[in-house]
Amino acid sequence: MWIYILRRVLYNLPVFLGIILFLMAALRVKDPIPGMLGKFPEPEDYARMEKALGLDQPFLVQYASFLADIVTLDFDQESYDKPGLQAGEIVKDAIPPTMAITVPALMLSTLISVCVALISAFYRGRLPDRLLVFLAVIGMSVSFVVYIIIGQYFGAYRLNELLGPGNGLFAIEGFDTSEPGWWVHYCLLPVLISVIVSMGYDTRFYRAVMVEESGKDYIVTAQAKGASKKKIMFVHMLKNAMIPIITRVMITLPFLITGSFLLEMYFNIPGMGNNLIRAINANDFPVIQAFGAIFAAFFIVTNILTDVAYALVDPRVRLS
Amino acid sequence: MKPKTPRRRVLRPSSVAALACGVALLGLSACGGGDAASGGGESSSAGTDKLKVLRLPMRTDGPKSLDPVRSSTQYENRAVVQIAETLLGYKYLVEPPELEPLLLAKMPEISDDGLTWNFELQKGIRFHDDVCFPNGKGRELIASDVFYSWKRMADPQYLGKSWWVVKDTIVGFDAYKAEQTERVNAGKKFDYEAPVAGMKLLDDQRFQLVLTSPIQRWAWIMAMPQLVIIPREAVEHYGSGFDRNLIGTGPFRLEKWEQGKSLTLVRNPNYREVYYPEERSSGVDAKFDAGRGKRLPLVDRVEITMFPEDQPMWLQFEAGKIDYTQIPAEYFPEVVDKRSHKIRPAYRQRGIEYAPVPLLDFIFRGFNMDDPVIGGYTPERRALRQALACAMDWDEINDTFYNGTPILYDGMVPPGLDGHPKDHKGPVSYRPVNVERARGLLAKAGFPDGKGLPTIDLYINRGGNSPEQAEMIQRHLAKIGVDLSVKQMDFSQLIASIDNKKAQMFSFAWGSDYPDAENNLALFYGPNESPGSNHYNYKNPQFDRMYEQLLSMVAGSERTAHIEKMRDMVMEDCPFVGSQARTREYAIHPWLLNFKPNENFYNWIKYLDVDASKRTQS
Repeated sequence: MWIYILRRVLYNLPVFLGIILFLMAALRVKDPIPGMLGKFPEPEDYARMEKALGLDQPFLVQYASFLADIVTLDFDQESYDKPGLQAGEIVKDAIPPTMAITVPALMLSTLISVCVALISAFYRGRLPDRLLVFLAVIGMSVSFVVYIIIGQYFGAYRLNELLGPGNGLFAIEGFDTSEPGWWVHYCLLPVLISVIVSMGYDTRFYRAVMVEESGKDYIVTAQAKGASKKKIMFVHMLKNAMIPIITRVMITLPFLITGSFLLEMYFNIPGMGNNLIRAINANDFPVIQAFGAIFAAFFIVTNILTDVAYALVDPRVRLS
Repeated sequence: MKPKTPRRRVLRPSSVAALACGVALLGLSACGGGDAASGGGESSSAGTDKLKVLRLPMRTDGPKSLDPVRSSTQYENRAVVQIAETLLGYKYLVEPPELEPLLLAKMPEISDDGLTWNFELQKGIRFHDDVCFPNGKGRELIASDVFYSWKRMADPQYLGKSWWVVKDTIVGFDAYKAEQTERVNAGKKFDYEAPVAGMKLLDDQRFQLVLTSPIQRWAWIMAMPQLVIIPREAVEHYGSGFDRNLIGTGPFRLEKWEQGKSLTLVRNPNYREVYYPEERSSGVDAKFDAGRGKRLPLVDRVEITMFPEDQPMWLQFEAGKIDYTQIPAEYFPEVVDKRSHKIRPAYRQRGIEYAPVPLLDFIFRGFNMDDPVIGGYTPERRALRQALACAMDWDEINDTFYNGTPILYDGMVPPGLDGHPKDHKGPVSYRPVNVERARGLLAKAGFPDGKGLPTIDLYINRGGNSPEQAEMIQRHLAKIGVDLSVKQMDFSQLIASIDNKKAQMFSFAWGSDYPDAENNLALFYGPNESPGSNHYNYKNPQFDRMYEQLLSMVAGSERTAHIEKMRDMVMEDCPFVGSQARTREYAIHPWLLNFKPNENFYNWIKYLDVDASKRTQS
């Protein structure tokens, strides 16, 4: 297995370098300097700013320099948008708030969606199934922003008003880990919104998986052998449906660190999504590059781990 | 490869579910085990309950740097001036704006020729206590701090954005910048001790400036946040971290800044004895006298929250978690009656006040006067531009995109300043929309019903609702047969297109740097043509001469008449169509006292007070 992993890492190295190359080249299509010079810049200010940002160097030198940062895991270039802070510091500080939302959201949404999908498959074609599918389609059809706006209004503002002054359960916005009960206060509502949003998509996907599994021969065999419906669903069927579940979960993993910029912007959570969108708006190359490199690496690693996980859950899969 | 048994067991469905449940519950209990209600969104922490705390919003992701020479946005300026101070400041309760000494003991003494300015600092002003000083005790402000702070604007290492503020103003300062830049380029250190011919230290309290010309605006410039006074020790101690560790003499010290999220200020215990102002203009409400006799600042702590999105800011205001807010456009009709411009009863009953504040805005559509089609000064070309101006319906733009709140006016002098036309209507006016007049002017220009006139390109920023506004203007001009092509681009590209004189017609805005019409008239001064601030490339020798005279004229009726003449001269030539001045719409909770919103200056937080009992009752 380790040789397989090593080989996959080596295969993916050119992909990673290509991603970084493409990202850096794409960023430099637009010149960030005019937007940084302020009012009435002097003619020499452009050159001075270009030098200070290292953008006067040939592209390949900039590329090599950034690769050196990746190798040493030290993204020490100063942010264009947040003077005095290094890109690495910004990324490091942004990951925990994001993961405080995305990790529980992923766990909850997967757990609930799989359960709902099982129920839906169990009642396939009957009223509960149709109702769940209908709700899932409705859920998918509504924009994320609408969920956020409504969730923030009713879940935080109205609920707090109902509970009375000083009894705010969910914060309208903010993120302060020094407060007792901070996670429930600041994170639970965004997590619930995130779960509701992803449940529509996830439930439909997992239901399709379950329905497909339920028509397979081993289910009929199990029924013939007299296994209970509960055992067939939760032992035989769920186990065999793990491959697509793992695939979906693993695909989602890299996005755990990117977060949702909409959620983070509306709830004022200083996470990766919030910082990334701000960096993009400000043409903050060092921060965008650091985010890009970490995300690409994480994506590749999860791809490799997905294959490994297949082999772990399905003895028929061989890593070679 | 054969998977190992234990791992397979880990992934059994029941185990997965149990693990997920367990981790989720663990997360919930570990993270949320405390009393959520006690957090309650209240930002006060232990030990601060009895302190007077202001909770204010900042409608954006806030400042990017607190270094005065690197600050350029109003959000940076708002933060900087709470911590550090300028030599002169604005009188809080006086309208129209007037200056008063802030760090100075008295207003500067100006020689008869207007060139030599003598200054005297107040004695006993101390910088904030900070580790950058010996024993952590802030030292006294001295005159050399002023020169040091201003010289930093010339230091290339800071990549400052504010040199334009002092350029061509103080004798020898531009030459000093050039010399020092050369030194730095040669690998030497920037020399702060090197003399500047027009900057003379007389003693620790007194200094003298010699200006290149008798520029009256210099007084206003000295009140700009870029010219705050800071201690050299702090810059040297924090190095590149000074961006985030601003030290000054201001009423508040920076306690914590979480960029994009919040900024907390605490009362400066060293703040000199300063009292709430006694002077109030007759037009200012007497309720603002309530603070008289009280020592500033009136609160102990200021918690500023950044709101990149409007909904959370509005909900926090509704929930009483912030003391005032700007009213987001989508909530405006709910809060304010659009016809009467009065706050609706539901809010009035809660004691919430509505305060619209006009900005020193000049929003317009400009013409490139060098353009072969639309530019030029012949009667025909002038008539062409006037025709376009008459065909544009600013009232419709105002109502559709801005809830009808901005002020429409003639000319380039924003409301509230000398030279602004009475009732916003000047003797030369192209408002309201008049299609017949526009058609007549178009025919006079040689393009009856637009025949023979090539398509005109309107360059706009693609952000906000600019594209929709441009579509509306397209429709307005189509009524007189003029074909408008809209070119959308990023703001930096728009600036570049204007600077290289490529943009035939463009949407743009100017926010005055200081409350004097001279700042806006400079936009039409010939030598300022693109890439300078004269984006229209307007050249009128008579106007230029009058502008040069204006620079040294002191405020008074003669100066006002001079400004009006210049304004109308430009309006006849019609290098722009306009104008519009936005208003900031504030909603204020009843417990916030002495709050007179102002957009000309930002150091008014020291005058604000809070009635904690009213806040608790709400």
